[in-house]
Amino acid sequence: MDYLEGVVPEDVRAELDAHVAGCPRCAAFVASYLETPRILRDATAPTLPAEVEASLRAFLRARTSAFKFRH
Amino acid sequence: MVVPTPEPSDEALAARAAAGDDSAFEAIVRRYQARVFRLACRLTTDTDAPDVLQDTFLQVYKHLASFRGDSQFRTWLYRIASNAALMHRRARARRPAEPLDVFLPRFDADGRHVATPAELRVASRADELLDRKVLAAKARDVVARLPDLYRDAFVLRDLEELSTEDVAQTLGVAPATVRQRVHRARLMLRGYLSDLVGVKP
Repeated sequence: MDYLEGVVPEDVRAELDAHVAGCPRCAAFVASYLETPRILRDATAPTLPAEVEASLRAFLRARTSAFKFRH
Repeated sequence: MVVPTPEPSDEALAARAAAGDDSAFEAIVRRYQARVFRLACRLTTDTDAPDVLQDTFLQVYKHLASFRGDSQFRTWLYRIASNAALMHRRARARRPAEPLDVFLPRFDADGRHVATPAELRVASRADELLDRKVLAAKARDVVARLPDLYRDAFVLRDLEELSTEDVAQTLGVAPATVRQRVHRARLMLRGYLSDLVGVKP
């Protein structure tokens, strides 16, 4: 875990880097581990639907002094 | 010649809003509504996200006077939004932590990975191998399948890209705990992604 996070001491890191570089299976595992956040970040980025934005405006208009005029 | 007015900083808007300038509060809402909605979707469900969005900005409005400017405004707002999302979820049954073993790479007696490199790499190609829409629908499911403790840390750290320290403060745990939960979440999600493309992790 510390290795994958990049927080191991330099000598340990160098040794593990050398192993991973020479081991296709470890390299494949590390690559897919590091790619996982990016894939899920891209795939879980919904846009704000217009009707949700409209209800937010209405909600805040009713409970605060903001959004009293149409913008 | 028209010199474009620079966008006011979050902190400047917050100070004006706290002093009663509604247009500054409205600017804050416009600046952050999409991001808060995205966070709410990632931490709760499509059904709950609109409520979380409303709660968040109402809390921001009420507590602007207590924003001291000793943290970044963005961090302060994310903390309010995360708490609103977690409150919404609290009513639902907590998802217990699952055993991790099935998500770890398997080794044979000689200490070699059992899976082939192609199989091990497949999770990193999920976005090439699956249709965008299919992946988008499944991605929400796999994040929601995580035990809550891992999901919260993963969403804030890896999806919203807050610093480990900010996530630790938001969740009220030590930074080392955040790192451990994020790590476990990545292992599980990597396994789920492999599953999605039809390969055992």
